Amino acid sequence: MRLSTSAIALVVGLLINHGALASELPQRWVSAGGALSEWVVALGGEPKLVGVDTTSQHPATLKTLPSIGYQRQLSAEGILSLRPQVLAGTEEMGPPPVLAQIRSAGVQVEMFSAQPDLQALKSNLEQLGTLLGKEAEARALFGDYEQALQRQKNRLVKIQATRQAPGVLLLVGNAGGKPLVAGRDTAADWMLRQAGGHNLATHTGYKPFSAESLAGLSPQVLVFADRALTGEAARAALFKENPILASTPAAKQGRVLEVDPTLLVGGLGPRLPQNLEVLSAGFYPTLSEATP
Amino acid sequence: MTTLVKPRTLFIGLTLLCGLATWLSLALGPVSLPLWDTLRAALRLMGLPIDAHGLEQAELILGQIRLPRTLLGLAVGGVLALSGVAMQGLFRNPLADPGLVGVSSGAALGAAVAIVGSAFLGGLPDVFGPYVLSLCAFAGGLGVTALVYRLGRRDGQTHVATMLLAGIALTALSGSAVGLFTYLADDATLRTLTFWNLGSLNGASYSRLWPLLLVTAGVALWLPRRAKALNALLLGESEASHLGVDVEGLKRELVFCTALGVGAAVAAAGMIGFVGLVVPHLVRLLAGPDHRVLLPASVLAGASLLLCADLVARLALAPAELPIGIVTAFIGAPFFLYLLLRGRA
Amino acid sequence: MLRVEGVQVRRDRKVVLADITLDLLPGEVLGVLGPNGAGKSTLLSTLSGELQADQGNVWLDQQALSAWSGVQRAQRLAVLPQTSTLDFAFRVEEVVGMGRLPHQTGKTRDEQIIAAALQAADVGHLSGRNYLALSGGERQRVHLARVLAQLWPGEAGQTLLLDEPTSMLDPLHQHTILQAIRAFADRGAAVLVILHDLNLAARYCDRMLLLEQGRPYALGTPTQVLQPEIVKAVFGLEVLVQPHPERGHPLVIAR
Repeated sequence: MRLSTSAIALVVGLLINHGALASELPQRWVSAGGALSEWVVALGGEPKLVGVDTTSQHPATLKTLPSIGYQRQLSAEGILSLRPQVLAGTEEMGPPPVLAQIRSAGVQVEMFSAQPDLQALKSNLEQLGTLLGKEAEARALFGDYEQALQRQKNRLVKIQATRQAPGVLLLVGNAGGKPLVAGRDTAADWMLRQAGGHNLATHTGYKPFSAESLAGLSPQVLVFADRALTGEAARAALFKENPILASTPAAKQGRVLEVDPTLLVGGLGPRLPQNLEVLSAGFYPTLSEATP
Repeated sequence: MTTLVKPRTLFIGLTLLCGLATWLSLALGPVSLPLWDTLRAALRLMGLPIDAHGLEQAELILGQIRLPRTLLGLAVGGVLALSGVAMQGLFRNPLADPGLVGVSSGAALGAAVAIVGSAFLGGLPDVFGPYVLSLCAFAGGLGVTALVYRLGRRDGQTHVATMLLAGIALTALSGSAVGLFTYLADDATLRTLTFWNLGSLNGASYSRLWPLLLVTAGVALWLPRRAKALNALLLGESEASHLGVDVEGLKRELVFCTALGVGAAVAAAGMIGFVGLVVPHLVRLLAGPDHRVLLPASVLAGASLLLCADLVARLALAPAELPIGIVTAFIGAPFFLYLLLRGRA
Repeated sequence: MLRVEGVQVRRDRKVVLADITLDLLPGEVLGVLGPNGAGKSTLLSTLSGELQADQGNVWLDQQALSAWSGVQRAQRLAVLPQTSTLDFAFRVEEVVGMGRLPHQTGKTRDEQIIAAALQAADVGHLSGRNYLALSGGERQRVHLARVLAQLWPGEAGQTLLLDEPTSMLDPLHQHTILQAIRAFADRGAAVLVILHDLNLAARYCDRMLLLEQGRPYALGTPTQVLQPEIVKAVFGLEVLVQPHPERGHPLVIAR
């Protein structure tokens, strides 16, 4: 079969156009904000990343990239030395004069929202999709996310028909010491509620906990995140540094769950839905698992 | 007795050092610019008609980022060193530091109020944002110093020993107030506060630079005129008075210059320590305690030291940046220990 | 010329100095002595303007002391305190050079005066040395050179007040220094010097003032003042008074 020259020309033309479009998309990316960087990677943008901030630790391959430091204390020249075309970050990026300097150097500074809600995530993914040329994938990712959250909601509705939401506290610590309790308006709070827990903390933001107030709260489940340690070591350190926790119903019944602290920074990230499942399982163990 | 460096030799050496530090600060950075480009961009900035082709990046980096930063470093280093000399003269003690009159802790308090307060208010509009922090820090520094000065005055005289104690007390008080603000701050605000406390020349811009340049020029031109009186003050307040020095007026000037200078420096660049303590010491070791040499030499030495520290801050962890207060502490603290161990400086 | 009239000084409601009336005459060395706490240093502080008298007046050259501007006063009146707290490594000649601060005589003349003052205080050989490396006695003499430089060469109309300038000096230097001070007075300056040693005072002073509990007990020539009863009354010491074999001034010998 002979391909007509026009057909070849059309195909070639489409290919060239696609290539041209691709080359109009920014190729060199610097990303600031853990969750944001994860979404960039999820949309296949990792090859384009030339630098990330210190909160971008997932996936582990990001750690091999040049570090631009803490996202609130960026260095204009440092970032410019990576010759990026785009600097992506949330409103947590700063300081503002540095961002202005980077903009005036011709770098596209793209702002995303770090609010922990679905609407923000939707517009973030749309924006990312456009910038990466992966609009369809972005829509798909969001769709999946929404569905996962919906499934979670449905599960909760069923469970909560017969069982009460457990009182929960989420503590963020460093090698067990000086833990902060997550209050309202935090990503942690969003997670706890989505997982079907009742956050006993009534304050806003993160606050150090006092032993007395803890005694008054009696959480049935404790969730902890440690910046320095993981697993058994973290759990042991937490109870060693804060013996008062041992007297909580949660500790007595062994209902102490761990979450990855990087989930709590920079808005909603891609790994949240699976972690929600894990949390829910911890909040509502099957009847045969519940201790008498 | 250790031979001292002659004033002329010292000034030539320090001027060369300062010039070298300035040049390195302009020529080096995370973005590697070809030297030829840097030179041409510099000449263009000075107004010479040089072909702009291919120089856009160099002009931007040099003109918008490195030059204001270098100027900031020169001014901050110079004024902090001068304030160190002033305080060591006021307290007649070579271990005195500008922070003794409370200006540093007051500025830290002002900054804490601004950072935490604006977070509480949901963030101020950007146009005021950077200025609010500087103004609050400056106001805090001046306010606490004024209070310390007031507490040290009795019967129309300023009692330096009382001022010292008042400074210590108010520093402690400011510290606990900052602690309170730290408690009220959320995680993100806390990190902003921490970074401010470590100091940085980052984000320097011409608009925020000129108040500091004015203050530095003012203090640097004024204090050397009181050099001989400062020398006499070292003999003792009554001895200086017997030599015809207006001691009360001089003390007032020293406190005022320090409050103004350090307040402006801290407002522009956060807390940078050790420069006010270490630089006058170094210069005295080299050239003796005569203020006619000490004051101008300290300006040059302080400016050079800070620019060198900033080079380390910018390059050590590039593309990230070390807070400069860490670098000056790393250099300053061991040096200070060395001075103490060596005995009398 | 310094003139004091009816001066009284109180500290916390306690009278530490009272009924002081005296003239410091040009060319005269007036020695002030008395037991500890008698008010000698208070008197000197009042004369130098550092302390404000609660009653009475102090005049410097027909004008109230407080009315003089700092610089003009410093050109006429120099004070050597008992101790110095200078803690910085100046060179000896830099310390002496501070004495020239009230004047505008220019570098060359200043250097000549500094050299001469160093010689007069017998510390010429210490020129170029680090002040902090000197002994207590050497430091004292450097400060004396400083106040001499302040009023150099010494003439009528200038006043020098010294608070125990010989306290840290060995016997030889005690005399050398007082001879320098004497020479200063001989050129016309009025000098008041606080001393502890009765015999030194007897030899070098034209007049002596004995203070006792803040009040003048005796004022006159050494011969008039150094009487055994007076010495006993003021110092509580039993003494013999004999004339010096060679010089004739009173010599006080404890019994």
